[in-house]
Amino acid sequence: MTAGDGVPALRADGLGKSYGREWALRDCTFSVPAGSVVGLVGPNGAGKTTLLSLTVGLLAATEGEIAVFGERSRAYTAGTLARVSYLAQDHPLYRGFTVADMLRLGQSMNPRWDQRLAQTRLDRLGIPPGRKIKTLSGGQQAQISLTMALAKRAPLLALDEPVASLDPIARLEFMRDVMAACADTGLTVVIASHVISELERLCDWLLVLTAGRLQLAGPVDDLVAAHQVLTVPRPTPDAELPGTVIDRIDSDRHSTAVTAADLGQLAQAMRQDWRAEPVSFEQLLIAYLQRPTRAAQSAGLSAGPARPGDRSRSSQTGITS
Amino acid sequence: MIWVTWRQHRAQAIACLALFCALAALAITLGLSMRAAFSSDGLPACLARSGGTGCPAAITSFVDKFSQGAASLINLPLIAIPVFLGIVVGAPLLGRELEQGTWRLAWTQTVPRTRWLVTKLGLVTGGLVLFGVAVTALTTWYYGPLEQVSSRLQFGPSSAEGLTFTASLLGAFGLAVLAGLLLRNTIGAMVAAYIAWEIPSAFVLLVLNGPGHFPAPATMRIPCRDGCPGAGVNSVPPVTGHLGDSVLSIARSGGDLVVSYLPASRFWTVQFIGGGLYLLIAASALGTAIWLLHRRTT
Repeated sequence: MTAGDGVPALRADGLGKSYGREWALRDCTFSVPAGSVVGLVGPNGAGKTTLLSLTVGLLAATEGEIAVFGERSRAYTAGTLARVSYLAQDHPLYRGFTVADMLRLGQSMNPRWDQRLAQTRLDRLGIPPGRKIKTLSGGQQAQISLTMALAKRAPLLALDEPVASLDPIARLEFMRDVMAACADTGLTVVIASHVISELERLCDWLLVLTAGRLQLAGPVDDLVAAHQVLTVPRPTPDAELPGTVIDRIDSDRHSTAVTAADLGQLAQAMRQDWRAEPVSFEQLLIAYLQRPTRAAQSAGLSAGPARPGDRSRSSQTGITS
Repeated sequence: MIWVTWRQHRAQAIACLALFCALAALAITLGLSMRAAFSSDGLPACLARSGGTGCPAAITSFVDKFSQGAASLINLPLIAIPVFLGIVVGAPLLGRELEQGTWRLAWTQTVPRTRWLVTKLGLVTGGLVLFGVAVTALTTWYYGPLEQVSSRLQFGPSSAEGLTFTASLLGAFGLAVLAGLLLRNTIGAMVAAYIAWEIPSAFVLLVLNGPGHFPAPATMRIPCRDGCPGAGVNSVPPVTGHLGDSVLSIARSGGDLVVSYLPASRFWTVQFIGGGLYLLIAASALGTAIWLLHRRTT
């Protein structure tokens, strides 16, 4: 399961999940190649945890499907559980257990458990195996959760807000460890996070969700190349700007717009009193996070590799990779 | 999974063992003194000689001594243990996992959650049955002498012998597990399970073993050919002639005495009805919990 063999690490097709009449996630279609480090970004309640829960089999899809390395995820089946290591938000652990107890739990509940990996990691972190979980710091608890997820030896690692409760130093250490693990093992990683600066350093793939809809999906480099920041005099209507305007901020005299347009489109439309800049990772994310849900419709870009019979979906706004 | 279950429940297992040891110490101390009194009062000889008709005063004083006061100290824990133990073990089994969020850890290892739950319930239920059977054996031994000279259909024996102790323990456990799943909260589950458990218990206590007298008591007509015996409901031995019977009322009808009484054999009838009710509740509650967890998708 390396990046070469062509089976996507994660593929969603029309994926949706509703709770009663409320859709937590809908029309989600994307395809992530193996070996990617995927940033899953969205405001609270956008459906990030729902997407991860569907992936790991904690939830059953209401419509569509999601597949991990070509195998459809089914809620609570051993096959699905074995393909994904999941680190839940707030890294839950049994507080009364010792560190060694937690590892033994992992060992007794996972056939591919790598005890040596787990012990080596904890030795390196200097966490004594006899300590009770509740006596450890938040950072250490997060590290134990990560250790358990890695020792499970699943090809996909899904992290839900892994550093949200950590101090800045613990964040850095945690993320460094995630990256080292990816480099060592060729893991595919999905990280749901609010911390844009962390994601910028780590991720080579992006999934942006708002209000249960996929706004953007694709490799970071392609997405950045396909968007421009234009500073234009007010009032210049959106229609005169190249591509699709994703976000626009009007000041007294000027408007700054992020548009989905490549350099060719930009060159054609460019005027003398306009200023064009490449979009930054952060600008790109903020633009999509602020964008109203359904505005993506006209972007006309498709997320993930096109497949025969793939219906055009309102939320596909990424770049073909 | 076996190790995980052991690790999560070992404190409870050790507490159960300690509880059993304390009960055993109490039951053996009281039981031995009961046996000593039984012999020194000459009851074995009297029973062998006359079936109890020769020593009503000795029997009455023995029964009074050991079914009241300090000697009945053991009854209280025996009444309280099933419900409290069942609830304390059952409520956190799912309730605490859901309350503290550890279900996201437990159910994302490679063991599917249904197997996780079935394994845990199987092992914990097995442990509770073991505890229940051990306590029942202890109490059956303890009440032995008392039951040779009085009815078993009394508060202590009827709740701590036969099936009731183990079955009501499992009933409370099952209700608490289900309440934990539904309420996602340990303390709430304990309260809800306690209230739910009181419903069948009220039936068992008030109807099967109490004034409700269901199934209906037996009746015996005693012809008064030579004048009716002057026996009352508390006569020793009972007017029915069997020390294990419990007489409820005596009426005169024509030339006969009509005796309404609970025969000794009623003990097992009541045990099967009450125990069966508790076991049915335990099985339905646990089955519902497994089914809900299996098909739950949210």
